[in-house]
Amino acid sequence: MTRRSETALVVFASVIAAVGTALVTLTADDRLTIDALAALATHLATFGGLLLAVRRWAPAASRVLLPPVAFVTALGVIEVFRIDRDLGRIQRWWLLLAAAIAAGGLYLLRRRGVEVLRRFRYLFLAGALGLLMLPLTPSSWPLGGATVNGSRLWVRLDLGERSLSFQPGEAAKVLLVVFLASYLADRWQALAAMPRELGPLRLPEPRQLVPIFIAFGVSLAVLAYQRDLGASLLLFVVFVLMLFVATDRPTYLAAGGALAAGGAFAAASFFDHVAVRVDAWLHPFEDFSGGGYQVSQSLFALADAGILGSGIGNGAPYLIPAAATDYVFVAITEEMGLAGGLAMLAGYAVLVAAGFGIALRAADRFRSLLAAGLTIVLAVQTLLIVGGVLRLLPLTGITLPFASYGGSSLLANMALVALLARVSHEERS
Amino acid sequence: MKSATRPVAYTLLGLLAFSGVWLTWAQAQAGSRYRDDPRNVRAFEPPSHPARGRIVTADGVVVAEDGLDGARRYPEGTAYAHIVGFDAEAGRRGVERTRFGALGSRDDGSLTAWFLGLLGADLGPPDLQLTIVDEVQQAAFDALGGRTGAVVAIDPHTGAVLAYVSSPTFDPNDVVAGDLDPDEDDAEPRFLDRVADRVLPPGSTFKVLITAAAMRAGLDADSEIEAGDSYTPPGGGMPIRNAGDGGCGGDPVTLTHALTVSCNTAYARLAVDLGSSRVVSMAEAAGFNRAIPWESGAVISLIPDSASLDRDPPALAQSGIGERDVRATPLLMALVAAAIANDGVAMAPYVVDAVIAPGGEVLEETHPSALHRLVSSRIAEAITGMMIEVVARGTGGPAAVSGIEVAAKTGTAEGSGGPHAWIIAFGPGDEPTIAVAVVVEGGGSGGRVAGPIAAAVIAAWLSIGD
Repeated sequence: MTRRSETALVVFASVIAAVGTALVTLTADDRLTIDALAALATHLATFGGLLLAVRRWAPAASRVLLPPVAFVTALGVIEVFRIDRDLGRIQRWWLLLAAAIAAGGLYLLRRRGVEVLRRFRYLFLAGALGLLMLPLTPSSWPLGGATVNGSRLWVRLDLGERSLSFQPGEAAKVLLVVFLASYLADRWQALAAMPRELGPLRLPEPRQLVPIFIAFGVSLAVLAYQRDLGASLLLFVVFVLMLFVATDRPTYLAAGGALAAGGAFAAASFFDHVAVRVDAWLHPFEDFSGGGYQVSQSLFALADAGILGSGIGNGAPYLIPAAATDYVFVAITEEMGLAGGLAMLAGYAVLVAAGFGIALRAADRFRSLLAAGLTIVLAVQTLLIVGGVLRLLPLTGITLPFASYGGSSLLANMALVALLARVSHEERS
Repeated sequence: MKSATRPVAYTLLGLLAFSGVWLTWAQAQAGSRYRDDPRNVRAFEPPSHPARGRIVTADGVVVAEDGLDGARRYPEGTAYAHIVGFDAEAGRRGVERTRFGALGSRDDGSLTAWFLGLLGADLGPPDLQLTIVDEVQQAAFDALGGRTGAVVAIDPHTGAVLAYVSSPTFDPNDVVAGDLDPDEDDAEPRFLDRVADRVLPPGSTFKVLITAAAMRAGLDADSEIEAGDSYTPPGGGMPIRNAGDGGCGGDPVTLTHALTVSCNTAYARLAVDLGSSRVVSMAEAAGFNRAIPWESGAVISLIPDSASLDRDPPALAQSGIGERDVRATPLLMALVAAAIANDGVAMAPYVVDAVIAPGGEVLEETHPSALHRLVSSRIAEAITGMMIEVVARGTGGPAAVSGIEVAAKTGTAEGSGGPHAWIIAFGPGDEPTIAVAVVVEGGGSGGRVAGPIAAAVIAAWLSIGD
């Protein structure tokens, strides 16, 4: 792909964001507002700025990364704005901030590249664990934890009259991938060696398995104390998949799968909030006005959608609780139809394919693992929430990358894409 | 390690692709299962754009459309209440009920609709083109003038219904607004469709069918038949008399004369002489004792079976003058007139001419079709001449329209609240283009009361284009 077509696609995505935003106000109020122009300007500034940053500080980077991100972001901002005007306007500021942080990251890595990250690996681990534990701090602290929708995965920064909340888990997932890529790049041989035998199974030295149990423990802790099923599952799956990629040993997949199955069964049995989710997944209509309400409304939304949807602004996505966050994919499908839903999935597929391409071409083990890990995070997170809202899986409550409303998620995922771009640049230069 | 990256990459990409397949399947499945779920309040969200097409008369008058609030609006109000009906929370009636599906948007989210949209088809709600002609409809409505009864006019060559009025009536806008409930007991007389859903004894208009049966049995217009001041059928009972209790201006009289003056004694005797099977088979040929295909359905017009009339000559004699247990809808009697006017062939009546997409594309069109042959064209021609005499020299005088010949047959049928005034008519005599049936319940003399109504309808129709 040439630079010219990359630019053209990003501009095209910006036009989609602007036209969609215009349709929202035209349908609801029968008039155009400044929002359409603001959406266009925000999208152009965000992705145009990122394009310039990549060109300056990672000029050889893959050009397939930004267009799909710009596209899925465009459909996301349209639908978030459609569901809640105020959230849509705040989301624009988050987009600009996310682009600034991603560009800043590219600037910091411009000389030494991602190699420099290896030096700070334990800092990242500590940072990730600290961030994960942050919501558990007392609410009365200036930077205190907060419980939203029954999950304690938020931190509220008290700024006197106003407060700003964010989910540190989103940032933690990127830091953890950087740590794991670095750690596994150095230790993979020890983990891949399987000197012990237990019947037909070949096992590594038990002490080498400590990290996997730590990951399991952290995931379970997140699940138990923060009641965050999505982040817990995401962290664990990413950890296991990275171990497998690093060592090429299916044993880790089997062990991870067994632990996940056992953990899931135990969670469904011992944690009420997990049991409710599983019930809502299997029998949404049995508790229509209670636990199954959200899933039922989502099914109604899908039923109303059809091939091309109700049209932007003509559906009723606001009937689904958490439409702008967890259920944004269903809201997009309701109003833009099967076509819109499939286009979103295609966007993620292009991004994930590009990410794995970068991993496969990377110059060394660390870079390859880093690219693979970052891509796995994106893919697994997308699958968890899309599968959740489509009832392939129980709903785990996690953001759809780039599309859901949420600043922390946007910042983390944009930084993730910047890192991928940098790895891609280094493979070619 | 790169060997392990590939399977992970392919698996995750495969799962993304599977999500797409699952989405498609879930939507198809959800679509059929959940759209009609009573808990799905999406169906009740107010529509943000007109969802239903207009209903327009043949001469372009809009009689039903979506209002700005999304509810149905009926600009012509009471005059079209029974044929157009209504689409309200209280229910649906008339064409609004029978064509509810056709009036909706074709964009149902299906693959077909999507493909049509790609081809540039406008999938917005289509309009319904009626065969009703507003000038004729209004003339019929005004001429009936709120008296209890019905007027129906048909193009005899096609079966297209030109006017369709039932009275007393109601304002469908009141039903939409919720001010009028069609299910309340005292609302029934106003909501009853007296054209197709009410049967009355047809009285002397039935003599047209006895005439047809006689001609099929070999008589002609000039054949002489016995008349007399009164006739007591075999088996006794009440003697049958003529209107005014006199004779019929001679004895015997020609068949033409008997029809012209509506001679009861001649027709009662004729019916008995012809025998029950000829009378009943002619009535059944006209559509008695079977369902007539009609837009909103019609009740069945009745005549007793020939075996029971055979055992009861007084009943047969009274059936010959359209009394006793003979019952007909105005719609059926209009079809009798239309068949005579159309060389003996009754065309199937219809009121929806076409369904037209917003872009002008004709989605559905009604092609005229024959319903049945009532009589041979020779008999039809002879009866036409006789019915012209009815207007020129007989009881049908008030149905005359200046400048043309009108053919008609009056009827004054027994009713509990006074005699029902009937007339069936068509014109112009040589080349009929309209056939009419009128009944005014308890209205009095068929000629004097119903005749002017038929004349007004025929005149309104013929004045179009002048």
